[in-house]
Amino acid sequence: MGEETVHALRGVDLAIGSNELVAVMGPSGSGKSTLMNILGCLDVPTSGTYRLDGREVAALSQAELAQVRGRRIGFVFQTFELLARQTALRNVELPMIYSGASASQRRRRAVEALERVGLGDRMGHRPNQMSGGQRQRVAIARAIVQRPALLLADEPTGNLDTQTGEEILDLFADLHREGQTIVVVTHEPDVAARCRRIVRIRDGLVESDEARTP
Amino acid sequence: MRIALANIGNAFEQIWAHRLRSMLTVLGIVIAVTSTLTVVGVVQGFTRYVSEFLQGLGTNAMWVWPERPAGEAGRRLGRIAMDERDLAAIEQNCPALRRLSPLIRSETVLVQAGRDEFRAPLEGVSADYLAIRNYEVALGRPFSIVDVEERRAVCMLGREVVRKLELGDDPVGRNLLVAGRRFSVVGVLSEKGSFLGNSQDELVLIPYTTALKMYPAQLRRMAATAQAVSEEAVPEARAQIVNLLRRRHRLDAYQPNDFKVMTQDEILDAFNSMSLVATAVLAGIVGVSLLVGGIGVMNVMLVSVTERTREIGLRKAVGARRRDVMLQFLTEAVSLSLLGGSAGIALGYGLCALASLHPQMVDVVIPLWAVALGFGVSTLTGVVFGLVPAVKASLLNPIDALRHE
Repeated sequence: MGEETVHALRGVDLAIGSNELVAVMGPSGSGKSTLMNILGCLDVPTSGTYRLDGREVAALSQAELAQVRGRRIGFVFQTFELLARQTALRNVELPMIYSGASASQRRRRAVEALERVGLGDRMGHRPNQMSGGQRQRVAIARAIVQRPALLLADEPTGNLDTQTGEEILDLFADLHREGQTIVVVTHEPDVAARCRRIVRIRDGLVESDEARTP
Repeated sequence: MRIALANIGNAFEQIWAHRLRSMLTVLGIVIAVTSTLTVVGVVQGFTRYVSEFLQGLGTNAMWVWPERPAGEAGRRLGRIAMDERDLAAIEQNCPALRRLSPLIRSETVLVQAGRDEFRAPLEGVSADYLAIRNYEVALGRPFSIVDVEERRAVCMLGREVVRKLELGDDPVGRNLLVAGRRFSVVGVLSEKGSFLGNSQDELVLIPYTTALKMYPAQLRRMAATAQAVSEEAVPEARAQIVNLLRRRHRLDAYQPNDFKVMTQDEILDAFNSMSLVATAVLAGIVGVSLLVGGIGVMNVMLVSVTERTREIGLRKAVGARRRDVMLQFLTEAVSLSLLGGSAGIALGYGLCALASLHPQMVDVVIPLWAVALGFGVSTLTGVVFGLVPAVKASLLNPIDALRHE
């Protein structure tokens, strides 16, 4: 079996400033996912550097990466990834369990985050008692509860109808207005159109990087 | 600590969510712990019971009786005999002995009082017998030396005999028929209770001289009960009896004893070796069912890890380290097997209680160490067999895990 080394990304040079709202676009196989994994500290580059919030993370150990993910990055996934048996509140508390917050602190901040996404009245509900849009809001509350340096969303509206998707994008816009740095990975032009900057990836390279006014 | 609490909460949630699966999984552990508790409880109960019974048999007591030894050497011995002179010699020449009473036993005999009759074992003994066996006289008097010397037809009765013959509150002085002969009641023994369902109070004592008159065949095959001067003197007393009897029976060094001496301790030892066998059998059962139970736990945890691959990916994405994931699944495995252990302990107690309902059953004693062992062993099973799935979960790559379908 001949194995060929494929460089999913090669020579990507990208700086994302604080409080930017960036869309990363690209066809499948473009290296978009790999870029997202590296940005999310789920993966480390074989060479090169990645500074998150002024800190070099490419050389961190597994345990250190986990801590960075827990405290500095908030993930929003296409399929929400909520724990099915737990209430909205406990889902949102999850990242703080691993960062060692006290129970009262966890609760206070989780309530805050859920209220922020407009689910103050759904905190005791389980995912299967909520609509898709509500579930994604819970996931967003979970992503922002640690006040991360970077909110990383992977096709956040992919499993939602247009109307609900718009509401989620409105929520992102609100968060961005409040100072949150957000990177949305998507292949939907409608989603990208809501962002201030669009980075297009193709064959492991940045094809284009355009700033725009939505 | 916070993570540990969350892990425990999680574990019980998972176990509850898969109730049936969890129940089937821990069956092996339940069986292991249940059988440990039940067998240990019963064996301990018996051990305590037997040692109490042996205490009741007398203080520093031992028994001597003629017996042909097994094997060729035994067959070559001449007549096997022990007579009154042998016993008198033991009584006189063994300084480590305090008391001795000949013991003439018969099959159960018919005891009749008026129209009531009852079959009871008969023992012919001397005046010292009561002191050796710790029998107390509840009513009337013990045998006197004159009773023995003159072969009087007097008897002492166990409580149960008095009850069965409906002799009333004061049977002393009543006459009754023992094996067809007229006897007069001189005393009643105080109650001793029953052992393994056999009442120790169904007993008729008569002077051994009288018994020999009734069973002359036993003149040459007499047995005896003796009491050593102290607990420490028991082995010495035993040795003195053996030496004396071998000399009197003119046994050469190569010939085996043509009699048997058994002390209370030897009876206890015999019983202890029996309970050792029971314990060994138990260890086998427990070992096998723990192995089965452990493999069950491992299997179900591996399934659980696969089912929850995405959850593991998510947990890693929101900050769980490998150690956190490993501990989560290890906690789950240990909780599962501990639940099995607890169920086993409850079931063990239940079975012991059930066994105690049987009238001939001893009081079951479940020692605390058996309970601790049950918990310990089930925890250990959880740790050992939960380790592989937990490590597998902790090593999952979060990217792949999140993509898992």
